[in-house]
Parts: sequence; structure tokens; C-alpha cells
Amino acid sequence: MTAPSIVLVEDDAPLRTLTSRALREHGYHVRAAATGAEMWVLLENEPADLVVLDIMLPGTSGIDLLRRLRKTSEVPVIFVSARGSEEDRVLGLELGADDYLAKPFGTRELIARIGAVLRRHGAPTDDAAEPRSSEIRFLGWTLSVARRELRSPSGAIVDLTGAEFDLLAAFLGQPQRVIGRERLIELSRTRLADSSDRSVDVLVSRLRRKLSAAGGQAPIVTVRGIGYMLSAEVERA
Amino acid sequence: MGLPGRLLAILLLVATIDFVANSIVLDRANDFALREDDAARMAEHLTIAYRVIERTPPANRSVVARELSTERFSIRWSAQPDALPTTVSLTRLRAQVLAFEPDLGKVDLRMHLLPLRGQGDIGGSMTLSDRSYLTFRTFSRSAWTLNLGRVGQTVLPTALLALLAWFLFRTTLRPLATLVQATRRVGSAQPQSLPETGPAEVRELIHAFNAMQLRIHELLARGSQTLLAIGHDLRTPLARLQLRLDNAGIDPAAHQEMSRDIDEMRDLLASLQAFVESGDDRTAQQRIDVAAMVQTLVDAASDRGADAVYTGPDSLDMVARPVAVRRSVSNLIENALHYGGNVRVAVRDRGDLIEIEVADDGPGIPDDQLEEVLQPFVRLDNARSRDTPGMGLGLPIVHRAIRSENGRLHLRNAPQGGLRATIRLPRVPD
Repeated sequence: MTAPSIVLVEDDAPLRTLTSRALREHGYHVRAAATGAEMWVLLENEPADLVVLDIMLPGTSGIDLLRRLRKTSEVPVIFVSARGSEEDRVLGLELGADDYLAKPFGTRELIARIGAVLRRHGAPTDDAAEPRSSEIRFLGWTLSVARRELRSPSGAIVDLTGAEFDLLAAFLGQPQRVIGRERLIELSRTRLADSSDRSVDVLVSRLRRKLSAAGGQAPIVTVRGIGYMLSAEVERA
Repeated sequence: MGLPGRLLAILLLVATIDFVANSIVLDRANDFALREDDAARMAEHLTIAYRVIERTPPANRSVVARELSTERFSIRWSAQPDALPTTVSLTRLRAQVLAFEPDLGKVDLRMHLLPLRGQGDIGGSMTLSDRSYLTFRTFSRSAWTLNLGRVGQTVLPTALLALLAWFLFRTTLRPLATLVQATRRVGSAQPQSLPETGPAEVRELIHAFNAMQLRIHELLARGSQTLLAIGHDLRTPLARLQLRLDNAGIDPAAHQEMSRDIDEMRDLLASLQAFVESGDDRTAQQRIDVAAMVQTLVDAASDRGADAVYTGPDSLDMVARPVAVRRSVSNLIENALHYGGNVRVAVRDRGDLIEIEVADDGPGIPDDQLEEVLQPFVRLDNARSRDTPGMGLGLPIVHRAIRSENGRLHLRNAPQGGLRATIRLPRVPD
């Protein structure tokens, strides 16, 4: 199996070298670009499996680059920012980036995020392949995958921890099918950031509490001895 | 027109009205006439009284005068004239009386309205041949309207003056009240120029205030940009440092410590960024479930092993900027855990207001520093000595963020110990 190919777009030369080296040491094939123009050239020559894009490139707006990239390609993108503002993060995710890294980041974090994005995007799993759908609806609730945001039927944003979000996304990926506890534990750990040991049961009870707030019964059903199941119908936008 | 001009105008107006009212009263008094038979009767009384007293020996005159008096017509004799206060003279009435008894013209008959204190009756005097005086007073019902006029004339200028003064104050003070409100908001949001209304001095003040507000806003914006630029510029070198560290092959313990130092620097930059952003009201407000938000923060803390407890509803909708509320509650929780060791967060629905209380059992904040800690970069003495990381921006961020939501942050020390930080937010913006 060939090593996944990553295109790195970063204007600071030393940082570009250091990052490329770190990625190569972890088995990735890296091509580096210093500007948006160089990025287009590289992508034209040979497609990439993932793009790591610094959105604070001089001259071009990284956000615009991302927008243009998304028009022509579904390649997974992790964008990096030195500005760290909430607006940037949300905007980037809305435009279709897969993840966001704030400078300074450690090698371990970078590698883990790349790994997670590639896993989510690339490998076919026994789950129904998750198309890059922006919104999933059930029982009046709306889950925005890009923004990682859940809205109640009244339109209010309902905060979820990372693990709760992943768990809910897992349920929504297999509606009306029982999911075993082991599988759920695995599915709820796709993000490095939330390395909590909370048992699935606690997470499910929290989810239930939040989902039943709209006045109905939470649509998560316990199946004795096996696991849990989402009993609602799901609609993808 | 300036304030002195307006005051002068009011005084002149009132003086004029007073003068006019006075003239009217005088005129009316002059024109005052009784019904013919009343005038005739008065003339008769006066003539009889005069003739009788004239023929009475001076020693008996007082007594006789009293005997001649009736309930409605009283007569007094005195050797010297009373010091009569000048009051309104009744010219026409006098003419009426003289028409009936022309002889009274020879006795220096005077008729006037008595002062209001004396019930405003008609009074007067006649001079006897030996230069002693007969003073009389009579009650006349029709003088009643005249007296009403006199009362009005005294009261009217005062009432008018009060009314005009009140209007003057209102037009002057109302723009001032708006001004005071505006000074409270300086620096917090986009400056709005106040309309220049009111007297000239107040307009000048408002004009100067508007200019100052703009200057302050520019200063703050420039300062914010500087902070942001500093933060931004530091991140790339830090990113390089972090990666070099990862590559350097140092022993794991040292690597971890150095990584933590870099993390600390990153957190400082993040808090600086958050501080600058907290004064920003450019993002949109949204509907949020604040109970779920707070519960999530408490859950995240307790998942990390902290002693964190939530009380409140499972769900509570409100409208606000999610980042502002989330960051504020998160900062308060972190402070409580760090300085107090535990945290109890309560969300309460108070109708129009949402209340979020973050309580801990730590040492609290010294009473004399409760206000100071809301200023940026202020750190409590014990924080420095305990080598606590942070620039002292946690509370200022909360303060600014909540204020940009038109809410209030209130800090107090609980009687049983520990800090109580209470956020109150309007449920919907108005």
C-alpha cells in the first residue's frame, strides 16, 4: 500500500521544513507549497490524499483558497491558523474543511488529526458510507456535521462534548439498527481531544437527557444485553 | 439660546405677565360697581354715619361708632389715621356713591379694597371736620370675583414661573440624562453619536462628548489590533519550537515539561485573543440552550476528574452569542476549580433574566479587590506567589463578554466562605 500523499501549504520556510519532516517520519509522502499558486500546481500534477493548509498565507485569503478548492475537489483538508479566532474555525468548517489545528501544535497532535481525518474519509467501513452531508435531521433536531453543532426543534444550539457528538453521529449513521456496546465505544473515540474514559452508558444517559428536553422521549432505546439503538427516522440534507 | 438667555427670557416673561395681571386687577377694581340699590344703601349708610358722628362729642364717638355698626357695615372712629396699606382703590364705586350723595364729596371719601388678609372687603375712610377719621368696612358679595382676581394675580406669576422653570429644566436635563447613559457605554460597542439637543451649553457638551467617544473607540481598536498582531506573530515561532522539540530526541520527561511550557504560552496567547474578542459584538446572537451548555461544561470538567456539580433545568432556551456565554462560564468554572478546588454551577430561570451562579469553597477574593480583579492583567497577590499560570485575563474576559450581552457579572464572597460569581443575562435582547 502506498503511503498516503499529503500536500502541505505553509509560507513560513522553517516551519514548512519541520512539518514536512515530521510527516515523513510518520510514513507520509509529503509535497510542500509556499503559496496558493504552488498548491494548485502540485495538485494538478498529482492528486493528494489530504491537504494541510495554512489559511494565513500572505497575499491570498486562505479561506478563499479553501472555497475554490472545494469547488473542484473533495480532498480532505485540515486547515491551520495562527489567528485562532472562533470565526475562522467555524467558517473553515462550514466551507468544508475536515478539521482545524491552531498553531502551535505538537507533532503527535498533527499526526493524530491527519490519521483521524483519513480514517473518516478514506477507508470504507461497514457503516453506510458517510457522504459529505452537511446536515442530518431527526425528530425535528438538526445535526450539522461540518460545524459539529446540534440544534433542537426550537432552533436552539445544544452543546455536546466531543464524545457525545461522535456517539450521536454513530447512532445517526445506523438509524433503527442496534449497535453493540463495544462498537459504540470504538466509534465514540474518533477524536483525540476527548480522551475521557466515560462509559458509554453515561454518555447515552447524557444524550438522552439533552434529547428529551424538547418535550418528547429521547429516541435512544436500550437493547438488553446488546447495546443501544436510535429509534428515529433520519434524513440527510 | 444659552441657559442664561433662557433664564432671562423666562424672568422677563413672568415679570411681564405679572405686570399685565396687576394692571387687569387694577382696571377691574377701578371699574368695579355695585348694583344701584346696593350703592344707594352704601351711600346712605355713609352719610348717616358721618352726620351722626359729626354731631357726637369726641369723647363718645368711639362708642357711638360701634353702636352704628351692623354685621355688614362696621364703622370705627379714630383721632389719627391708620397707617393704611396701599391697596386697590375703587374709583368707579366711589363715583357711584357720590352720585347718590354728592355731599360725601366734601369729606375726602376714600374707598378701596382691603388687603386679602382682611378678607378683601370694601373699606374706606372719611375725614371729619376736626380732622379725625371715620374708617368703615363693608362686606359685599359681588366683590368676591374681584378678590378672586387678586388671588389669581398673586398666584399666577408664581405658578407660571414654576411651570416655565420646570420646562426649562426638562429640556436641559433630558439630553444630559441621555449623555450620562452614553458615558456608561463608552468603549464597549460601536460608538453612536448622540443628537445635539437642548440649550447651547448642553449642545456643546454633547458635541464634545461625541468627538471624545470616537477618539476612545479608535484608541481601543488600535490597542486591540496591536494585541492581536502580537499574538499572531508569536504563534509561528512557537509552532516551530514545538516541532523542533518533538524532533530533538530529548528524554521524555524533559520533553514533556518543555511541551507544557509551550502549551502555557499558547494558552496565554489564546486568552489574549479571547480578551480582544470579548469586546466584540460583530458575531450574531443565536438561540442557545444555556442549560445544556452549562451542563456540558460541568460534565467536561467532571470527566477530567474535577469535583463539579450542576443544578438546574435540563433545558433552557435564550438568545445570546454562544461563544461569549460559553467562554464566560468556562472561565468561571476554571477559576473556581483552580482557586477553590471544587465548583457548583446553578442555572436559574428568572423570567426575563437568566441567572448562572458559579460557586466554590475556596478562599474567595479579598473584599477590597472584588472590583479590581475585573481589570485586565490584574492578578491577586497569592496567585503570583503560587506560580499560577495566566495573565489575569480570565475575569476581565467574562466581564467584557457578559457586558457585550447586556448582562451583568456580580462577584461576592459567601458568608460561609468561597466565591460566588453570578452572571445575569437578559433572556432575549431588547
